[in-house]
Amino acid sequence: MKKYEILEHKADLKIRAFGKTKEELFLNMMLGMQESLQAEKRKEEAKREIKIESNDLNSLLVDFLSELNYLNETEKEVYNDIKFKEFSAVKIKGEVLGQKVESFEEDIKAVTYHSLDIHQKNGIWQATVLFDI
Amino acid sequence: MISKKDFIKLNDWLWEIPKSFRADMRVPARAYVTEKMLEESFEDRSLKQLVNVSTLPGVINYSLAMPDMHEGYGFPIGGVAAMRIADGVISPGGVGYDINCGMRLLKSDYLEKDIKPHLENLAAEIQKEVPSGLGRGRQIKIDIQSIDRVLEGGARRLVEQGYGEKEDLENCESNGRFPQADVDNVSEHAKNRGRNQLGTLGSGNHFLEIQKIGEIFDEEIAKTFGLFRDQVVIMIHTGSRGLGHQIATDYIKIMMQAMQKYDIRLPDQELAACPINSREGKKYFSAMACGANYAWANRQMIAHYVRKAWKSILGEKASPLSALYDVAHNIAKIEKHKVGGKKIEVCLHRKGATRAFPPEHLEIPEKYRKVGQPVLIPGSMGTASYVLVGTREGEEAFFSTCHGAGRTMSRHAAIRRFPGKEVIRDLKEKGIIIKCRSFRGIAEEAPLAYKNIDDVVEIVHNAGLSKKVAKLVPLAVVKGE
Repeated sequence: MKKYEILEHKADLKIRAFGKTKEELFLNMMLGMQESLQAEKRKEEAKREIKIESNDLNSLLVDFLSELNYLNETEKEVYNDIKFKEFSAVKIKGEVLGQKVESFEEDIKAVTYHSLDIHQKNGIWQATVLFDI
Repeated sequence: MISKKDFIKLNDWLWEIPKSFRADMRVPARAYVTEKMLEESFEDRSLKQLVNVSTLPGVINYSLAMPDMHEGYGFPIGGVAAMRIADGVISPGGVGYDINCGMRLLKSDYLEKDIKPHLENLAAEIQKEVPSGLGRGRQIKIDIQSIDRVLEGGARRLVEQGYGEKEDLENCESNGRFPQADVDNVSEHAKNRGRNQLGTLGSGNHFLEIQKIGEIFDEEIAKTFGLFRDQVVIMIHTGSRGLGHQIATDYIKIMMQAMQKYDIRLPDQELAACPINSREGKKYFSAMACGANYAWANRQMIAHYVRKAWKSILGEKASPLSALYDVAHNIAKIEKHKVGGKKIEVCLHRKGATRAFPPEHLEIPEKYRKVGQPVLIPGSMGTASYVLVGTREGEEAFFSTCHGAGRTMSRHAAIRRFPGKEVIRDLKEKGIIIKCRSFRGIAEEAPLAYKNIDDVVEIVHNAGLSKKVAKLVPLAVVKGE
């Protein structure tokens, strides 16, 4: 199973991620997004607590990625792992881990609901998210 | 699926999908396109989105698409819709994530031949002065209180602090300040994203260009605008950066949750909307006004940096850069328009569309009032840009016109087809200097990944939405450091 793939889109960034569990799906979507920023990393490590509450799983994914986008931009960090302390269809608590960043190549404006899709097929979760860049 | 047979051709530049096309349409949907462009529009979902906009409560006359339309979020890019205040809605998707993304044009007294020997240094100095905001270059972090003042005061706040001239405000839509701004309706997240991005260009299609006036179409109006052939001008294209994106993100979420309460059902989540007069609608409008003010302040700060670079290369005594105009192309405004013979207040959404007020309109600077509002249309990188002017005929489109070229190819496809090095070589062959630290950034914005700007402008000109005044040709393209 691949972690994620970048799909063709005219103006923006479309990522499809996979996971055996929802937790893994969220992690892999995070990796797709974070790697797309093409950050020039510094050696310093970064660690941030996150807490997201939403109405449903779709909003939870969008809100989670939006929070990462906020942290990327304001803290100048990029993340490659997450330790979940709590995970349900409407709530995430955990810690994202990564590195401090010198500069980004890509600038994500926002995480959108456009063509947003999360479903399970043959035991594998997959999600598609479009990022406005 | 929408196809050509669903359209009525009104004239060579205007096509209509009647209200009967879909049961949930409240008004017809209209697209300002040629037959060829219409056929190309079926490749993405922009026309479906245009029909979706026509289902919004309170929408007046038509949902409209400009010729540079392409698929957006909720609204198509190039979408225009006016809503009745009494029963209409306001939609963050009708403004876009980049609130008050827009254009500013600075003009000089110099001819191309005067600047040519300094062009390389000038482009390099501008690049050094203007940060992209993605890491490199100057970094300033301002505190939340200062952000609040910018959100309230817009470009005016910066001019008060010495970052510009009084004339900059006179020559700016809404004088660079939306009075309805209320900082209490902007989240800490949004403010934090804005703290270190004031005066930054951003990435993607945002740019700075040193251009010359290549062609004048209307001598008299050009004279009123202070434009002449071979004159060197500088064009700035950017918006409200992370702060605006966060306001949009925050309010799409708020409205998606609140819609049920108002019994609003929409065909697309990204259209999320609330009544203009509701608590959520009012809060969004005042937050959006803050985002718009930040964008005007951002372009003001960038203009300041450009002027600094200008002086540093051409000398303190060089004649200064003055603002022709500054105009938004992603914004919602309360404006008065004639509807059914009566002038009424409407909430006008322009997403990837530019306001183009006609002659004698009171909201345009006095010195332009006789001829109409200047309209600034950027082309894709390395191609022409235009200065247009608003017309009386523009009334049929709520005095709105196009905003640029509009993408036709994905960024990835562009990177695959046009390696950055080749794009730079092509630009160089045309004599255009390019300052950008990323080959990828260049490839993504390759001119062929966009519609032809000349075709787009020809349509709005022929349809009468705005008239051509001058064509601007790039001399140097600058992406921020």
